[in-house]
Amino acid sequence: MASVIAVRTPILASRLKILQALGVFCGFAAGAWLGGAEAPIKLVQGVISPITISLIMVFGVFLARWSIPALIRGTSFVRKDVAKAPHLVVWGVLAGCMWAVANTLTIYAIQDVGLSIAFPLWNTNSLLAIFWGFLLFNELRHAGWRRWTGVIGGALSMFGGAALLAVASSTHALGGRATHGVVAALAAGVLWGTMYVPYRKAYLTGMNPLSLLTFFTFGELGTMIVLAISYRGTKALWHELVGAHGILFWLMLGGFIWVIGDLFQQYAAKYVGISRGVPLSNTNQLWGLLWGILVFHELRRGGHALYAEVIGGSILMTIGAVAIALSSATKQEHVRWQDAAEREGKKYGVEQSYVRAGIEGKEFEGGENRRTLLDWFLVAGVIAVFLALACMARLPPVDVSWGWAAAITLAMMTLLGGCMIALWRITRFN
Amino acid sequence: MKKENYANAFSVPSLITIARDVHFWIPLLVLLAGLLVLHMLR
Repeated sequence: MASVIAVRTPILASRLKILQALGVFCGFAAGAWLGGAEAPIKLVQGVISPITISLIMVFGVFLARWSIPALIRGTSFVRKDVAKAPHLVVWGVLAGCMWAVANTLTIYAIQDVGLSIAFPLWNTNSLLAIFWGFLLFNELRHAGWRRWTGVIGGALSMFGGAALLAVASSTHALGGRATHGVVAALAAGVLWGTMYVPYRKAYLTGMNPLSLLTFFTFGELGTMIVLAISYRGTKALWHELVGAHGILFWLMLGGFIWVIGDLFQQYAAKYVGISRGVPLSNTNQLWGLLWGILVFHELRRGGHALYAEVIGGSILMTIGAVAIALSSATKQEHVRWQDAAEREGKKYGVEQSYVRAGIEGKEFEGGENRRTLLDWFLVAGVIAVFLALACMARLPPVDVSWGWAAAITLAMMTLLGGCMIALWRITRFN
Repeated sequence: MKKENYANAFSVPSLITIARDVHFWIPLLVLLAGLLVLHMLR
């Protein structure tokens, strides 16, 4: 038998440095795309219920989750990858269920307190991610006082920012809806913060994010269908969906954009851990602010004090996120991650060499993973669906600054291109 | 040697291993709590 490098053998310092930098880059790209995903939802007005909005978004997410992996690596790669650690299918489905409930809560939150305020509130999920990362996956162990200070100081700064924004929400939102909006946003944060437990488990075990996400989507679509039918009733839901044909495109586009951001977030979680990757991707709060204020003119009727609270809170949160991001893992800490990876591998009987390859961001067993006819069919089908929906779409009478929208979109595309190239060159999307 | 198929994910031994993993119960309980909050806000 060929010699297998033990999972807990330290990886080369140069490789570790490159992977950490890649994870940070993915985190920033994730922030841009996760933030941008909320923008199309702002174009949706009228009587459609939050549950139905979330369901339609999840349809878009479902299409993206299957077509993007098919385009990048092919479904045969996903099949082979999942076969190495099939128990993670269950974890992926569970995470998908959590995502669906959290996303529905965010729709309520946006309606009640607005995008600019709801965003940072659910972004407190990073505090929870740090906690779970430390408690369950050895993150920040043997990290040294500097990194602890960066992470804890950053976390406190983020908490302060979130609190400032919660205060702002009480003056911005209508009547008694503010409390509902704040509760919905915070609950979404708890769900999204805990959702990283299955993620981290999968990536420590060596699974490719592209693989986990394809199964994740069954959980989210299944949960959303059950929620929508039980809350709205089949008949009412169907009428709502038929009546919403003009806005289907915007909502599903939101879901599609979100998946791109989420994919980058997965790679960030894989390479820098959830204690750093989640705060980094939470820079989506800044992008949310940019879309909300520059493109959709949110807070236009607010006074200077309201602006000061929202901007001040956002800056505090960003400073916190950056401090955490700069506290990247040392070699000693990374060995502790590898201990956790070894534990997971042993617990579920996963091959050591598979776990090791995942840690190093390398291909396991190589081999050809060519795209098949099925992959091209998936990609073409999704493009056709979106083209058809775009033809049916109508632009609601919303005051939008298209110049700003184009500028922000260009910045997002630049990050997308850069990050895809980096991922391909360094890991071949492994 | 592990069998390489998806059915393994939902086989009894696999599900027992997952159920004995305390990590699994944390997200599951949070999910149930989230559903409760959603139900109350609806």
